Amino acid sequence: MTTLITAQVPPPVAKRRSYGRYAGGKVLGALGSLFFALVANFLLFRVLPGDPARTLGRNRFRTEEQLENFRHTYGLDQSMPEQFLTFLKNTFTGELGISLRYRVPVSDLIADRIWPTLLLVGTSTLLAMLIGVYLGIISGWNRGKKVDTASQSTTLTLYSMPEWWLGLLLIAALAVGIGPFTGIFPTGGLHSTDVEPGTFGYVVDTAWHLTLPVITLTLAYLAEFSLIMRSSILDELGEDYLVTARAKGLRDVEVRNKHAVRNALLPTTTLVVLNIGFVVSGAITIETVFSIPGLGLLSSEALDIPDFWVLQGTFLVATAAVIFANLVVNLLYGLIDPRVRT
Amino acid sequence: MSGGRFVPEAFRHEVREEVGGVEPPHPVVRVRAADTVLRVLVRLLGRDRRRRHSRHRTPTRVLAALGIVASLLALSSAQPAGAADDDKVTFTLGLKNEVDSFNPFLGYEGPSYEAWSLSYDFMVGYSMDDMSPVPALAKSWEASEDGLTWTFDIREGVKWSDDVPFTAADVAYTLTRIINGETESGLYGSYLTNVETATAPDDTTVVLKLAKPNPALPLLPIPIIPEHIWKNVDEKEIATYPAEPSEGRPVVGTGPFVLVEGKAGGSTYRFEKNPDYWGGEPHVDEVVIRVFKAEDPMVQALIKGEVDFIHDINPLQVKALEGREGIKAYNGVSPYFEELGFNTGAVDTETDKPIGDGNPALKDPKFRHALGYAIDQDRLLKSAYQGAAVRGDSIVPVAFPDFRWEPSEDEEFKFDLTRAGELLDEAGYEKGADGFRTMPDGKPIGTLRLFARPEEQHSTTIMDFFSEWLGELGIKSEVTVRESARLTKDIIAGEYDVFHWGWYVESDPGNVVSYFTCDQRALANDSWFCDPAYDALFKSQSSEMDKAKRVEVVQEMQKMLFEQSPYLVLAYTADGQAFRSDRFACFVPQPKPDGVLVMQYGAGNYPLMRPTKDAGDCDGVARAVGANSASEAASSEDGGSNVVLIGGAVVLVLVAVGGGVLALRRRSTAGERE
Repeated sequence: MTTLITAQVPPPVAKRRSYGRYAGGKVLGALGSLFFALVANFLLFRVLPGDPARTLGRNRFRTEEQLENFRHTYGLDQSMPEQFLTFLKNTFTGELGISLRYRVPVSDLIADRIWPTLLLVGTSTLLAMLIGVYLGIISGWNRGKKVDTASQSTTLTLYSMPEWWLGLLLIAALAVGIGPFTGIFPTGGLHSTDVEPGTFGYVVDTAWHLTLPVITLTLAYLAEFSLIMRSSILDELGEDYLVTARAKGLRDVEVRNKHAVRNALLPTTTLVVLNIGFVVSGAITIETVFSIPGLGLLSSEALDIPDFWVLQGTFLVATAAVIFANLVVNLLYGLIDPRVRT
Repeated sequence: MSGGRFVPEAFRHEVREEVGGVEPPHPVVRVRAADTVLRVLVRLLGRDRRRRHSRHRTPTRVLAALGIVASLLALSSAQPAGAADDDKVTFTLGLKNEVDSFNPFLGYEGPSYEAWSLSYDFMVGYSMDDMSPVPALAKSWEASEDGLTWTFDIREGVKWSDDVPFTAADVAYTLTRIINGETESGLYGSYLTNVETATAPDDTTVVLKLAKPNPALPLLPIPIIPEHIWKNVDEKEIATYPAEPSEGRPVVGTGPFVLVEGKAGGSTYRFEKNPDYWGGEPHVDEVVIRVFKAEDPMVQALIKGEVDFIHDINPLQVKALEGREGIKAYNGVSPYFEELGFNTGAVDTETDKPIGDGNPALKDPKFRHALGYAIDQDRLLKSAYQGAAVRGDSIVPVAFPDFRWEPSEDEEFKFDLTRAGELLDEAGYEKGADGFRTMPDGKPIGTLRLFARPEEQHSTTIMDFFSEWLGELGIKSEVTVRESARLTKDIIAGEYDVFHWGWYVESDPGNVVSYFTCDQRALANDSWFCDPAYDALFKSQSSEMDKAKRVEVVQEMQKMLFEQSPYLVLAYTADGQAFRSDRFACFVPQPKPDGVLVMQYGAGNYPLMRPTKDAGDCDGVARAVGANSASEAASSEDGGSNVVLIGGAVVLVLVAVGGGVLALRRRSTAGERE
């Protein structure tokens, strides 16, 4: 009978691959994208208008010689292919070059700036994910009811509101204070200058500084998670296994949590892991409003010069994180849902 | 995605039909009468359970909320208390940009200059009155008759912050590095033009030998670095040497403050006072610089009192802050001019062949000069600058009256489109049949590309006005926004017509007048202006040691630029600054009388400023801001009572939100049960 089927269906149905092969393929693919990203990173920034020696040298370099010296010192006088080779060599040896603007190694800059970003964007993504998924479940389960309308309109309003404006509102209300209420949060920055790093007070101080920006970002991100979760819950609502579950006499909450939510989580997983990949890209607007020295601000400011090495470094980190997150999603999918392995 | 997982499509349809055909929010199972009792029981149980549950939960939530609020309040009140505990006087300055390098040979941003002048001293500094040369590490100086030898008498008894004695050798070392070094000469080379050697024959004398006289001397705003530290940093290393505190060791300098904490590109920097400062012990213990990336939060931080001084705020913010108690806001005069720059004819500097695609009309000085009458400067001052600027005409701003040339009543530009039109007609740019002006040979002028820069908010406003006035003259134009980096590239390529930008001007005009020489084309000369007569004047002033004669030449040059108009100078702008006058006083404006108070040339105000409560008469410094306001003691009623209020408010809000969530939850769960 099997022979009959293979004869009938011209291209033989691919056998379900083993997980190892599947994973290997995905890893190779990820490496390929990473290499492609490396090349793109290099080319993308070289076509940017602007010559760092000119931008940094306005009102400073008075002779062609000085310009040449600068270019020579920072390797900008090499030809494109030479620069590309240097870039590749540097990248593989883990060296990211020296910032043209700050004159310190880019890896040091990134190491300094990645923590504020991880704290800020990471915490917000996590919070937004938890709250957003919960809201999504609630409103999906109660489609069309008041709670659904309320949660949808609130999250959508917050989502479409410019983040910086929301941030400024929060600063005005909670940092500076309105009328008789004085603010209880700082207006910006990452920590006070008078606390010793490494102490408990330092941790609390940093948390205190990050409260407003984290709230802002969380509010802004909520809709992403809640909308996806809501629609996947809606997809499940009509399913018969829910009827079965109810028929078994399960309580509503149990039907929802144990049956509907589990099946609805798949699309949300993708979104969550991908979003985690985007964490290290930073949140430029919020970093600006709250003056948090993160990676987003670092790369956006590097664009003005343009500070090639910094841009290449931050984009390398960002692309690597997204590609890695993608890989994780793919590998997870392979485990969760074997059908994707075909 | 609703592909059936358990039931085949066909069968599923039946199931649905049984339910009633319409897709319900979620599937409803039909229950027989026999089950009703059970259902009611379950529901009752559930509700009861839930009610008990919420009764349990509500106090827990409120308690948790209270806990959070309490900890937050404790935190916020701990903050100022912590600062007050050790009675340290900290002056916090809010800036909009980072220090890009603490190494005085590398950075280029304003905050870096501020940081260097806190840590290091000049040999000869800037006066607070008019930025003229004043003694700093050098007590006095004299030049030989021919101007080829300068002898500086160096202060005795000055110590580096690591207690190593400072001597003339350190000065000679610094200057020699600049004369010989590539990286080192970047920022300071031009001050040492024509200087061949710098030597220290003894501990208190520095001698400069020049090849040709340099009229800009003795002004030497060069941070003097300690030889015993920097001798370990060779010429290659210096290009990346951070000069930051490392392993708890502060940066060594002679300045009024010592950098103890901070990194290039960081967001806070902390300086402690240098108690042995040769100019007298500073009155504040600490200077903290905080970097804000946005203006509004920085202003809010001043209002709240997180920072004591902010710089570079826009005129509208200044207006908004002006009335507030305990805050003084003003527009300080800064030696900066803004201009419309023209493409007067870009060329390849090696072959002298024209490059780019500049509009031919702008190559004609008469055309450019006529446009000067088509600019309503008063209107721009009001609408674009919001009053935070004064009328501009020459490239030497009003802050430097010595060298400044002013157009006479007849010469100066007055907004008069008829006059501008007449001048254009005279020069041959007459209106064609379509109402647009043409070139003298009858060809159309085309559209002038006006480039505004996004880095300055008012840039587009100015260009929009200009475009409108040009339109009224019968000249087509188009406003485009170009970032500085891109614009720089376009200027070098000669692919532009008009741009809006500005320059800081130093007290010695040598630099600013050099921007219009042929040699500077493709470097600082962004209007591609080149006139041999001008170059000859430039050359003669650059070695003229008789000040009166030099002034005459420099004024002649300004007049030439005014008439040929490679630039139309629009305005001398002001710098918006604001500070907590209830906390700090005794700042001296630079220049006299309405200059800026921080971000000056040099660190003049840092050793002078003091807490308002001990300001007194500021030791008799006549021009000091806030000298007699000591009596208006800082009134801070907002203390305990407010804390209670906020606490209450926050609890209320949290309870309301929590309650709302609970209510919704309960209602929804009730609704869920079919």
